[in-house]
Amino acid sequence: MSSEPGSGNGDRDTPPAPEPLAVDPTAYAPSVGERLAIYQRAGGIVTPVITAVFAFFMGGLVVLATGHNPWKVYKGIFTGSGLNWFFHVGNYSITIPGTDHHVWFWWNTSIQSNAAYNLQQTLLLTTTLILTGLAVAFAFRCGLFNIGGQGQYLIGVITGLWIGTSFPHMARGPHILLAIVVASVCGALWAAIAGFLKALTGAHEVITTIMLNWIAYWIGSYLFGQGGPLQNSTNASVPVSNTVVDSAKLPVFWGNPVLQGLHIGFFIAIGALVAFWFVLNRTTLGYEVRAVGFNPEAARYGGISVARNYVVAMAISGGFAGLAGVLDMLGYQYRFGVLDVQTSQLGFIGIAVALLGRNKAVGVALSALLFAALLYGTSSRSIDQTVLKPELAGNLTLMIQALVLLFVGADVLIIGLWQWRRRLLPGRLRRTRAVAGAD
Amino acid sequence: MDAAPVLELRGITKQFPGVLANDHVDFDLRLGEVHALLGENGAGKSTLMNILYGLYSADEGEIVVNGKTVAFSSPHDAIDQGIGMVHQHFMLIPVMTVTENIVLASEPTKGRVFLNYAGARKRVEEISQRFGFAIDPDARIQDITVGQQQRVEILKALYRDADILILDEPTAVLTPQEATELFAILKGLVAEGMSIIFISHKLNEVLEIADRITVLRRGKRIDTIKREGATEASLARSMVGREVLLRVDKKPAAPGETLMHVDDLRVFDDRGLEAVRGVSFDVRAAEIVGIAGVDGNGQTELIDALTGLRRPAGGRVEIEGHDLTNSNADAHLEAGLGHIPEDRQRRGLVLEFSLAENLVLHDYDKEPYSRFGTISPRRIVNRARKLLSDYDVRGGGPRTPASALSGGNQQKVVVAREVSRNPRVLIAAQPTRGLDVGAIEFVHRQLVAERDTGRGVLLVSLELDEILSLSDRILVIYEGRIVGEFSPDVTEQELGIAMTGGGRDEAAA
Amino acid sequence: MAATRAEPRTVWRGLTPTETASLGIVLGCLAFLLALPPITARAPWWPALAGIPAIGAGIWAITSGVKRLGWLAVAAGILGTVLGVLATNTSSSNLDYVVSWTPLFTAMLAFATPLTFAAIGGMFSERSGVVNIGLEGMMLTGAFFAVLGADKLGNWALGLLCALIAGGVAALIHAFVSIHLRADQIVSGTAINFLALGVTGYFFIQVYGDQGVPGSIPRVPTVNLSAVDGIPLIGPVFGHLNLMIWLTFVTLIVSYIVMFRTPIGLRIRSVGEHPRAADTVGISVYKIRYASVILSGMLAALGGAYLSIGFVGSFNENMTAGRGFIGLAALIFGNWRPFGAFAAALLFGFSTALSFRLAQPWGNSAVLFQALPYVLTLIAVAGVIGRSIPPAASGRPYRKQ
Repeated sequence: MSSEPGSGNGDRDTPPAPEPLAVDPTAYAPSVGERLAIYQRAGGIVTPVITAVFAFFMGGLVVLATGHNPWKVYKGIFTGSGLNWFFHVGNYSITIPGTDHHVWFWWNTSIQSNAAYNLQQTLLLTTTLILTGLAVAFAFRCGLFNIGGQGQYLIGVITGLWIGTSFPHMARGPHILLAIVVASVCGALWAAIAGFLKALTGAHEVITTIMLNWIAYWIGSYLFGQGGPLQNSTNASVPVSNTVVDSAKLPVFWGNPVLQGLHIGFFIAIGALVAFWFVLNRTTLGYEVRAVGFNPEAARYGGISVARNYVVAMAISGGFAGLAGVLDMLGYQYRFGVLDVQTSQLGFIGIAVALLGRNKAVGVALSALLFAALLYGTSSRSIDQTVLKPELAGNLTLMIQALVLLFVGADVLIIGLWQWRRRLLPGRLRRTRAVAGAD
Repeated sequence: MDAAPVLELRGITKQFPGVLANDHVDFDLRLGEVHALLGENGAGKSTLMNILYGLYSADEGEIVVNGKTVAFSSPHDAIDQGIGMVHQHFMLIPVMTVTENIVLASEPTKGRVFLNYAGARKRVEEISQRFGFAIDPDARIQDITVGQQQRVEILKALYRDADILILDEPTAVLTPQEATELFAILKGLVAEGMSIIFISHKLNEVLEIADRITVLRRGKRIDTIKREGATEASLARSMVGREVLLRVDKKPAAPGETLMHVDDLRVFDDRGLEAVRGVSFDVRAAEIVGIAGVDGNGQTELIDALTGLRRPAGGRVEIEGHDLTNSNADAHLEAGLGHIPEDRQRRGLVLEFSLAENLVLHDYDKEPYSRFGTISPRRIVNRARKLLSDYDVRGGGPRTPASALSGGNQQKVVVAREVSRNPRVLIAAQPTRGLDVGAIEFVHRQLVAERDTGRGVLLVSLELDEILSLSDRILVIYEGRIVGEFSPDVTEQELGIAMTGGGRDEAAA
Repeated sequence: MAATRAEPRTVWRGLTPTETASLGIVLGCLAFLLALPPITARAPWWPALAGIPAIGAGIWAITSGVKRLGWLAVAAGILGTVLGVLATNTSSSNLDYVVSWTPLFTAMLAFATPLTFAAIGGMFSERSGVVNIGLEGMMLTGAFFAVLGADKLGNWALGLLCALIAGGVAALIHAFVSIHLRADQIVSGTAINFLALGVTGYFFIQVYGDQGVPGSIPRVPTVNLSAVDGIPLIGPVFGHLNLMIWLTFVTLIVSYIVMFRTPIGLRIRSVGEHPRAADTVGISVYKIRYASVILSGMLAALGGAYLSIGFVGSFNENMTAGRGFIGLAALIFGNWRPFGAFAAALLFGFSTALSFRLAQPWGNSAVLFQALPYVLTLIAVAGVIGRSIPPAASGRPYRKQ
């Protein structure tokens, strides 16, 4: 097309670095989506692993400084979480569901196994964290920071409980389906409020979702409180809801249902992961969401409605979180009280899950497993009291989570690690980011 | 006039990763002169001046001010030595007043704790009267004109007792009339004993205002010459290193039917002011219509309305007879409009998307790329491969992220996308901004090719050269109205007059 | 070029539309107040008498162009009338209990104090361009370390000092990660919240274990001004305020002066609006941002310290329970200005105080009142009561070339 060798590349263009003062200050700062694009490109699995290791290391220092043995603590957490179950390989058998036929299996799935029980509990939490993680991740892909997962989760809990504790004569299938649909839709609507406000008025979604979290918190405290409309009808002095009726409980496929086994909600969560990936990468909606997340202006110029995508992305995110809430209720918790409303953190942990998982399906799955293991392994039902008191262990979890967030957010750290891997950075990235290292 | 230099830069070298921005550059400035620093984008002019102003530190070389070698670690040091700089993009805080902006970081105080606003105001008024500026010290920056904002920037330097003033592309944002006023101010400053460095890439201005001219190319100083004896052609050759084709070869126009009809269009800008006030024109098949005007006279809002990104307050936009006045961007694209936007990185491309994904930005939801809401990556990639080869895009394949490409190639991708959709009308807004000469030639050739295949092209540009060389008809926009229609053999002078209101202002240059 | 709003020229009986609208707001409030103690008018037409003119004044103001205040007057008029009429239908004993102004005002000030400290801290940080979601965590840190310090060092002043240092350290982490590492400021702030929760909880159990905090830790004293006691209604309130509440007033005035009347305040604001411009005149963007963030942590910590050693006298895990967020909300509601934030904090404090007193007649439903601050902030952020505009460069990391 052009006759001059090399000039067709335009490589005498102004590289962004040497003419920095030409940048208009109120334009084009890296959006949330762009920064996350960097996270996504930078590191595959290595960077999240290093981040997690670093966070655990720092947590271990705190443990050490207060007179406990970090190695024993972490080992205890590992055993307590049931992840050691994968390492006990032997000759066991498994029953094919629906028949009496036994088949050889190399892992011990019997009800007696302690490790199996722990793993079931961990996987219960993993189910929830996958979904609250997806709630944050999907919004991030659209350039939105959804801190409202906790509130959306609570809305899912509330509405799911309402359906689940009513209609005792409904058939099982429709009852469960109804609860799931209503809870997810309500979670979606709760999040969509923030989406609408952003689309119509430009209100920052961080502020609005935080406010909505607290509004949900107080609504829940009211509803389940003494004299509240959703308080249980049996014991008026206990601020807890009714129990989910049997016809709405999710079937347990592994473990002892009496002792809280793993329910089929686990597969729903896996399905959600697949749906997440499929929607984002193989549908027109996902294309739009990603375009808006990376560059809303270009998306507009391409004919995409940014406002509509904000609302839809928030709604889908809220739907995931609401789903998490109802699955917990129908799956194993069966009731919720004011105290639960006020101490629940699962929505917030979703933020760390999503960020550590780089907002991608596989990442979210793995990091949900990690955090669930941490949560359960440090809980009072599981941790060995002589190694570390459960209350301390619970706070340790919070600290590790915080550290993960701190490190995940740091560009320079990630880029540093990325460069350490000695791969070539994409061109523009090299030009803009590497200047930081030039000073 | 061969006085001792007040400023000398010796052997300045600055390396950025991948780019040698300044390569042993020597530069000197004499007392009372206007010394122009000329070069293309990326030649290193701004870098050199940023080093002088203390915003960067040079890797090698030294700075000598009035015979004393100095080292600057921050603008403060440069300011202390009497050096002031007016940046191309103003470093002014919109919500603060003129006075606050001027005294920032050198605030007068009452008792060392409180801000002495009244005292600051008085001093600002003193200085502006002394040099003949007419500025309201209590006005907010966001409420005054661009020309006035530039004067505030100059006042900032004067407030700090600068003797050396650096101006970085000062006329980029001014009308020709305001530019003339600026030159008068500069002459006044020189008469008061200041020395001025004037960075530009505009040959005609440099020839008008400068006493001496230094040309930089690719980080090296090519030449320093006196104004007498320099011509546009010789300067251009020094800047670029080869004979520059200042005009594009094209066949004469043979326009056909009307493709786009704009009638009495009215559009409001983001602040609620009327930016387009009743604009009417047509774009016919096989013609290039150029719209010339200084930045900020309604071009952006006009294009937004024509492409469906902004709803007009009145009037009509028709493409091939279909009324698209109140339709959104999608509808406009469907109706046969193509749009090469002003800022390819902000608006034209999603840099994190692959080239293939960028190439389907308008068509991702149509057959054959999409069915029942799902997307087929394979088909998208295949199409991309073809387009990338047809348009000779270098730097990556269909799956490369767009950010990896150079500016010229990125623009090629944008052009490829728009042109390959076979639009009836192509709107090109600043299509060659920030590109080097080779890429500019490519884009110009594409636009002419579009015209020759019978499409209509609307070119909106701030570069008069481009307008003059490409357009079959030239319209001038001023304060939201079309104030003149010209044929391509009009002179820049005439265009300049039209761009400032059609000769209503008294004696321009 | 300037988009100035022309002053409305119409005048009614010597009052401009703005003044009329303000009068309308006052009348609307009066409509409600008439039905409350100590006046306790029982006939429903009293509130209507004040409220309907309020609505009228508001409508007139709107048609004369003063929209924002006009709508506020209309809203005040409607709300005042409705609430006033409702109040006249409520039993007067309930009213007397709930609306006892002295305890309400005292509680309002007590609740507003931690919010105000957090909000002022947030103001410094945000106006310098760093979003600080971590105010909650910094407040909690202050609360715990104030108790720890006062207990182990035996003195409430030393306790406050410990709180300041701890808050400063927490803020330093946030500052380092946000400014130097250029991390996303929201993520960093959220991390600080979790970190504070974990650290304070961990060390609380480690140090105080099962017994909890001893009952006798030194507390910030109350300032007793007997001279003021005599003044009706507000006398008893101001006569026995905690020292830290007085400190709040001082902080407000000082922060206003610093931010808007000194060079350093100008520089902080410039860094928050246009850091590159500030950089080019030689201001150190990094230094200013660090200082502002650390200051914000210290102030938030003071708010938390008031909570623990000023008000409650003890510490529990997650004691702050969201007050840092309400403080942030107050800042936004108050348009990033100290007195605006204080007014918002008072409003939120009032609604919390009211919710506690309402618990008696209303029972569980009073809990919903606690959500009021958040609802109001949601409305404010959505721009219904005029847009809240943050500093232009807020939230964007700055890269110095």
